[in-house]
Amino acid sequence: MKKIFVIFSPLLFVSFLNAQDIFITKGKIEFERKVNVYKEIDALADDDNDWLQSMKKSLPQYDVSYFDLYFDDDKTLYKPGREVVTAQKLPDWFQGPATDNVIYNDINAAQTISLKNVFENSFLIQDSLRKIDWRITPDTRTITGFECRKAVGRIMDSVYVIAFYTDEITVSGGPESFTGLPGMILGIAIPRINTTWFATKLELTEVKPEDIAAPKKGKKINNAQLLGQLKTSTKDWGKYGQRNIWHIMI
Amino acid sequence: MKKPILLLAAILLFYSMGIAQNASIKGTITDTINKKNLTNTVISLLRSKDSILYKFTRSDAGGNFEMKNLQAGDYVLLITHQTYADYVDHLQLTNTSQNDLGKIMMTLTVNLLKEVFVKQQIGAIRLKGDTTEFKADSFKVREGASVEEMLKKLPGIQVDKDGKITAMGEKVEKVLVDGEEFFGDDPTIATRNLQADAVDKVQVYDKKSDQATFTGIDDGQKQKTINLKLKDDKKKGYFGKLDLGGGLNDRWNNSAMINRFRSKLKLSVYGIMSSTGKTGLDWDESNKFGSGTDMEFSDDGGAFFIGNNNGDDLNNSSYEGEGIPKSWSAGLNYSNKFNDGKQSLNGSYRFNKLNSEGQGNTISQSILPDTVFVNKESSNSFKSQQRHSLNGTYEWQLDSTASMKLTASGYSGIQNGFSNYTGESIDGLGNLVNQSIRNASSAGNNKNLNANLLLRKKFTKPGRTLSLNLSELYNANNSDGYLFSVIKTFDKTGITTSNDTTDQRKISNTSAGTFNSKIVYTEPLSKNFFVELNYAFRNSKSDAEKLSYDKSLAGKYDLLNDTFSNHYKFDVLTNTAGIVFKYNGKKIVYGLGTDIARSNFKQTDLLRDTVSTRNYTNFFPRVNFVYKFNPNSRLSISYNGRTNQPTIQQIQPVADNTNPLLITIGNPALKQEFIHNINFNFNSYKVFSQRGIYMYGSFSTTGNAIVTSTTVDTSNRTVYQYINANGNYSTYAGLGYSIKLKKLDANLNININYNNSRYNNIVNGIKNVTNNSAPGIGFGIGKNKEKKYDFYYYNNFNYNSSASSVNTSIKTQYWTQSHNMSLNVQLPWKFEVNNELDFNIRQKTDLFTQNNNVFLWNAYIGRKILKNDKGIIKFNAYDILDQNKGYSRDISNNVLQESNYQTIKRYFLLSFVWNFSKNAATANQ
Repeated sequence: MKKIFVIFSPLLFVSFLNAQDIFITKGKIEFERKVNVYKEIDALADDDNDWLQSMKKSLPQYDVSYFDLYFDDDKTLYKPGREVVTAQKLPDWFQGPATDNVIYNDINAAQTISLKNVFENSFLIQDSLRKIDWRITPDTRTITGFECRKAVGRIMDSVYVIAFYTDEITVSGGPESFTGLPGMILGIAIPRINTTWFATKLELTEVKPEDIAAPKKGKKINNAQLLGQLKTSTKDWGKYGQRNIWHIMI
Repeated sequence: MKKPILLLAAILLFYSMGIAQNASIKGTITDTINKKNLTNTVISLLRSKDSILYKFTRSDAGGNFEMKNLQAGDYVLLITHQTYADYVDHLQLTNTSQNDLGKIMMTLTVNLLKEVFVKQQIGAIRLKGDTTEFKADSFKVREGASVEEMLKKLPGIQVDKDGKITAMGEKVEKVLVDGEEFFGDDPTIATRNLQADAVDKVQVYDKKSDQATFTGIDDGQKQKTINLKLKDDKKKGYFGKLDLGGGLNDRWNNSAMINRFRSKLKLSVYGIMSSTGKTGLDWDESNKFGSGTDMEFSDDGGAFFIGNNNGDDLNNSSYEGEGIPKSWSAGLNYSNKFNDGKQSLNGSYRFNKLNSEGQGNTISQSILPDTVFVNKESSNSFKSQQRHSLNGTYEWQLDSTASMKLTASGYSGIQNGFSNYTGESIDGLGNLVNQSIRNASSAGNNKNLNANLLLRKKFTKPGRTLSLNLSELYNANNSDGYLFSVIKTFDKTGITTSNDTTDQRKISNTSAGTFNSKIVYTEPLSKNFFVELNYAFRNSKSDAEKLSYDKSLAGKYDLLNDTFSNHYKFDVLTNTAGIVFKYNGKKIVYGLGTDIARSNFKQTDLLRDTVSTRNYTNFFPRVNFVYKFNPNSRLSISYNGRTNQPTIQQIQPVADNTNPLLITIGNPALKQEFIHNINFNFNSYKVFSQRGIYMYGSFSTTGNAIVTSTTVDTSNRTVYQYINANGNYSTYAGLGYSIKLKKLDANLNININYNNSRYNNIVNGIKNVTNNSAPGIGFGIGKNKEKKYDFYYYNNFNYNSSASSVNTSIKTQYWTQSHNMSLNVQLPWKFEVNNELDFNIRQKTDLFTQNNNVFLWNAYIGRKILKNDKGIIKFNAYDILDQNKGYSRDISNNVLQESNYQTIKRYFLLSFVWNFSKNAATANQ
């Protein structure tokens, strides 16, 4: 099995039971977040809204950004990673809110603290971990060399989430707010918002306590309160408002 | 190995909180072949009815696991360990189950054989790789049946009562039509709305994860998908709009538009005839019709639109309320895509005809050092324009890095008209100084060609691009007409001092052609820092032949009048090179650079056979800076310097006596203007409080501004000559604030603005400085409830003040105010009522004493009819109070002017609008 990860100090974190058994308990995963801009436009545009369609000519098809997920036993921190060099940037107003989230999850305590920049506000959202009823499927897929099993969940009543997790990483974490599977989530796809998160590499690096420090600044709020505020302020936004809420509340 | 145990303990602790059941399971995971216990193996319990994960744990160092406090129920026990085959078993737990599963044997996957299924092959079914393809016609269904009914007949496919499809035992997540989604992600929209006989083939396959093209909804993993391939002749349909309206007094407004599409081909036709001011498609209609607009993005992500009108002024905006119009227009649009959409062609033809006739009155005041003249003139005019236009766009995506776009448009038209004027002027003491009549008529034609080729290439290094743009613009206007004018002047005692008659034939042939080429190369210097190098070559050639012939004794117009005749050529050749540095960061975007241009002017007087040349070298500096506070707040500041070249009319050394009381003379010594412009802009919107603030300001000053030197004689005969002057500037600034009133659920906004300008000119040899300033304030409120009502009201108050140094005793100061209100109410039984009020109140001045207040009230009542509200019958009332007036007031330098003209007044129109559509593949329901 070919694994695409960089081993800095394998003896520290990897337990060798036999040649094939490698279980990982700490490290750093890089995720590539990819939004299919054209599909987002299709979702926003009405049947005959040609001007939105004509935007496609001027925009790249994908908006790509990177995030790092640090994990150590039962705590994870997800935050923006390296910047992408692209000639063609997506206009700010299209990029949408909450694209630079910092999310701290304490898996054992089932608590989450996240920092989300939503429009003009920075929110520090303190809540319990999102509980998702995951349907486990027999399908598998290899992501960065790890065989991942597919699970399907549903959030916000109607938004389906497809997750791929590997049990070779013993931390039940994942990108954004997604947790609760018997292993690390290395891939997430949310068709409704045309967005995917897939791991691009795993570094078995030393994780210092400051790497997994919960965000502290921001306006304190919980998810239910945030959703309430968003619903009030985007009431007249139609489809665009609903899409924004999905993007913010994932 | 302590950590996994701690983790296990923690997980168990977490999952057992708050649960009091006492079923439990335990066991040991072991490798069958190597006889070894396996650690870190995941043991999951799934609810057997829906495979939802209930709980999971991992085996400890000894391969042992235990799960406690389990709820009673039916479960699937799933045990997974890398490189081993999954262990799956059913497990039934009661409240008191204490299952010891003992040793659970795991088998390495390499020891397992894969099961192979062999499908039975029927004639109508083919296996293409991993795709199963059904020939739809082989499965008989009733006439008019939907795709769903057909699917039920296909072997291996089941459809339940909710329309859910299962293919080869797996749920079908997606139904595509010709590889594309059919109106969203609900498969039943396609299967229930499409007719079975429109389908050529049904393809069932697993969408693969690693598809090169990311298909959005598909997240990448295997997904059972059905693709319906339509028969080519069924990929067609049409939609359109019919709008018929008629009223008393020769008022009509009829339009029809139909779009047919067939596969990627789209063909649209429209026709409009109107006497209510509609002269073409509106923006929305124009988009549907397929001409549409292009959108581009600036470096900092701001969007702007580029219209596709190609300088065709005989379109929507050609009627601006002046006179009584009658218009006819028709058009045809064709668009198609080839080669998987890599090449596209869009072409259109349009015909427009607009007749307008009207009467008007103009009053103008000329402020002079020693006196003031007031001229009153009334006019009668008729104008008819016709035009045939062609437009085409061809785009070719050569590969993922290179593209080509060719656009070409042109028109050919004729224009003729006549106007009659009578007027008189009085001086500041009320003495009549002149009386005039003037009749002008002309017939002519015009031509335009505009072609543009854009080639773009991106390189592998992000940010490195090369583009080449070539364009050619050509305009020609020819006219042949007559001018007849009589001007009588009087002295203070009322005695006629002169009586001049002008009776001339006027021939004018003008053309202008510009070739432009520009090559731009961008190179990334670092992650967010780019340099742009550009070079441009521009060649513009203008030619104006203006001939005036006096009437000879024989009654023929064959005596060339030297004063009013000239043939002039004006060529400008410009070479420009420039460099711009750009930084495109997250918070800060800036650009800094300059162009340097060398311009060569060549002016040729063909009648007098003289040539003069001049050269200019100019820098065109530009700086822009944007700071983004957050995605909804930004500040931008920019400066640029640019030149503006005189037009051939301004430079041609000939007097234009189109209005013999107002003669303009070109100046061949005119220099180009240089304009410095500074702009600033601040925008902020708070989404949560729905509060918006904007601020803007601009200052521009012009060196060598092209202004007029005016000479007015004692009989108010004016001669304008173009000269260069310094000291002109204009500035404007504004501020706006909007907020949502939460209690009222209404939007409120307020704005203030201020304009100020200084204009220098020369009046009768004396330098004159005119200062204009106009502060204004506006307020608006809006409230709407979807499908119930929509209301808004806004107003504007403006104060205008103007003073000319040439005569400081005269100051012009007046207020204007406007009030606009709109109310649309949706009533029961599909009725709707719409009211629009538009009040304009203009303060009278010493000079402009006429009442120019307009209270315009338009309304309609309509009822939606037909299925899906696709039709509406409306009774329209325009200008119910019969108050509309055509009006404009203009203040520039030492001349103030007010015009009143005939415009469309009260009429009533009964109209019927029908939006229709049919898709051949859509089932009739």
